[in-house]
Amino acid sequence: MAKLFVVLLDDNRLKKLEGSGLEKQVSKLFGGALNAFNLEVSDEHAQKILEEFSTARIDSRGAITDVPIAFNRVVFDEIAKKKSLGPEVMEGVFARLDEIKEAAAKESEYLPAPDIEV
Amino acid sequence: MSIRIERPEPHGGRLIDRVVTDPAAGKKLAKGAAVFDIKPTLDENGVPVRNVYREIMSTCYGFFSPVEGSMKQAEVERILKERRLLNDWVFPYPLVFDVSEEDHKKLGVTPGDRVLLRLKGKPFAILDVEEVYRIDQEELAHKTFGTPENNPEVVKEAFNKKHPGWVIYKSLNPVIYAGKYKIINEPKLRPPFDRFWFPPKKSREEFDKRGWRTVIVHQTRNVPHVGHEFLMKNAAYTGDLEPCHGILVNAVIGVKRKGDYPDEAIVEGHEAVNLGGYIKPERHLVTILLWDMRYGNPLESMLHGIVRQNMGCTHHMFGRDHAAVGEYYDMFATQILWGKGIPSFGFPAPLTDVPYGLKIRPQNMLEFWYCPKCGEIAYSGNCNHSKEKQKFSGSFIRGMVSEGVFPPPVIFRPEVYKVAVKWWKHYNYPFVTPKYLIEREKELEIDLADMDI
Repeated sequence: MAKLFVVLLDDNRLKKLEGSGLEKQVSKLFGGALNAFNLEVSDEHAQKILEEFSTARIDSRGAITDVPIAFNRVVFDEIAKKKSLGPEVMEGVFARLDEIKEAAAKESEYLPAPDIEV
Repeated sequence: MSIRIERPEPHGGRLIDRVVTDPAAGKKLAKGAAVFDIKPTLDENGVPVRNVYREIMSTCYGFFSPVEGSMKQAEVERILKERRLLNDWVFPYPLVFDVSEEDHKKLGVTPGDRVLLRLKGKPFAILDVEEVYRIDQEELAHKTFGTPENNPEVVKEAFNKKHPGWVIYKSLNPVIYAGKYKIINEPKLRPPFDRFWFPPKKSREEFDKRGWRTVIVHQTRNVPHVGHEFLMKNAAYTGDLEPCHGILVNAVIGVKRKGDYPDEAIVEGHEAVNLGGYIKPERHLVTILLWDMRYGNPLESMLHGIVRQNMGCTHHMFGRDHAAVGEYYDMFATQILWGKGIPSFGFPAPLTDVPYGLKIRPQNMLEFWYCPKCGEIAYSGNCNHSKEKQKFSGSFIRGMVSEGVFPPPVIFRPEVYKVAVKWWKHYNYPFVTPKYLIEREKELEIDLADMDI
C-alpha cells in the first residue's frame, strides 16, 4: 500500500505556490490550524527512503517520518518546481540525494532554533 | 465492601531507605574500603547507554523497594525465570553492579569486602559485597527481554542491537559485585531536576499535605503535546467515589534514545502544563525517576507500577506501546500483562491478582486524536470517525518542531513549546544527540559535597 509524506506549509511556502494550481490540494489539519500536502509515496519509493536514511520510519498513520530536515526542504522545493504532487516529485528528490545527505550530516549536531521569545 | 480506595502499602511492605544523612556517619562507613570510580556503561561506539549511579539512587531512596542493592546470581536467575525476587515479590529486571575484569583485578575484592563508590571524583555510596560472579552479557540481554520462542504471547521479534534496553545489558561488564548499597554522601539534585525530586517518602508526605488520597500517575519520556494532556485529564476521571484527587507526572530521567527530547525540556514542559493553567497546579505534580530506560514495554510497565506504588499512587495509566521502541513486543503487551497476565513471564493472572503482586490499579487507555468532525480532541474509544481522525504522532510533531514551525495550540500549548525551544537554544538542538549524552553523563543530575575519607 502506498505511504504518505506530509509536507507542512507555512505562510512562506504557501506564497511560493501561488498560481501553481496546487492550492486546492492543501489539506487542513487539526481543525484548520495547520496546512499541509499529503504526498502519496509508492512502496518502491518508500523503501528507498528507508534504505537511504537510517532514522526514517513509517509511523502509525502510514506516514514516512524522521527523515532529515534537508529531505523535507528538498521535497517542498521539488513540489514547487514541478508544480505537482505526482511521483516525479520523489524522482526529483532522489536525484538530489547527495545534496540532502551533505546537509543532513551538518544538521545531526546543530539545528538553528526558531527566533522566538522564550 | 467499601468503594473507597486507600493509598497502597509500598511494594514488599516497607520503603527502603539507605541514605546516610549525617556526613560524619557516612565518613565512618567508608573508612578503609576499596575505592572505585563509577563509570557510565558505553555501547560499542563509546556512547553512554546507562549509569549505574541512577540505579543506586533509585534503590537507596526507595523507588525500587524492596530491592536493596545489586542482585545475587540466584536472584538474577529467578527474575529471568519468573520475574520474582528471592523474597517472592514481583520484579521485572536484573539490576547489577558490574565491573571489568581489569578493574576487578585491580580492586581484588572478595565477598565480605566493602567498596567505596565515587562519583565525579567524590565519595557517593558504599557497596557491601556479598557475592562475586560473572555474566554472559548477550545471554542476559536476551533472557531479560524475552524471545518469540519463549514468550510467544507478546514478543514478536528477536531483540537485537537496535533495541536500547538490550544494548544496555549487552554492554555490561562481565564481573558482578552483588550486595547492598548505602549512599553515604547525601547528593544535591541539580537544577532544574531539584524541584521535581520527590522520592517515595517525600511524595507520600506531599500527597498528605495536598489531601490526595487517590492519585493517578502518567509515565513520560516526552515533552507533552495536547494528546498527552487530554490523556492525563481524562484518565484522571477514574478514582472511586470521585475522580482522582491528584495527577502525578513521573518523568524518567536518564540516558535516552537519539531523537527523544532532552530531560530538562521534558520536566519543564510538563510543569508548563500546570503553570499555563491547563491542569491546576493544585491537582498536578511533576516528579522524576532516575533510570536509564530499558524500553521493555510490559516489563517496564511492571517497574513503573512498582515505583509509583512506592510513591503512593493508587492508579497508573497505561497506553498502547507503553515504554516501547520498535515492534519487538505486541503493542498491547502492557495492557495484556495488567489485564490478564503473561504466563510465560510467570504471570498466569494480572499483576494485581498474583501473590506478592502489585496493589496499584491499572487504567488501560486507548489513544486521543483530533477529530475535525467531532470538532474536538476525541478518545478513540468514543470517536467513530476513523477516516477523518488526525493522530498526535510523536514523529510528526518532532518533524514539525525540527522544521521550526510554531505548532498550533491544538497540538502544543505555546507555553510548552517555548520550553522546548528554551532548551533547544541551550543545546543548539531540539532533541537528544550523542554529544548531549556525553556531556550529560559528565554532569549527571546530582552534585556531591567534598568528603575527606
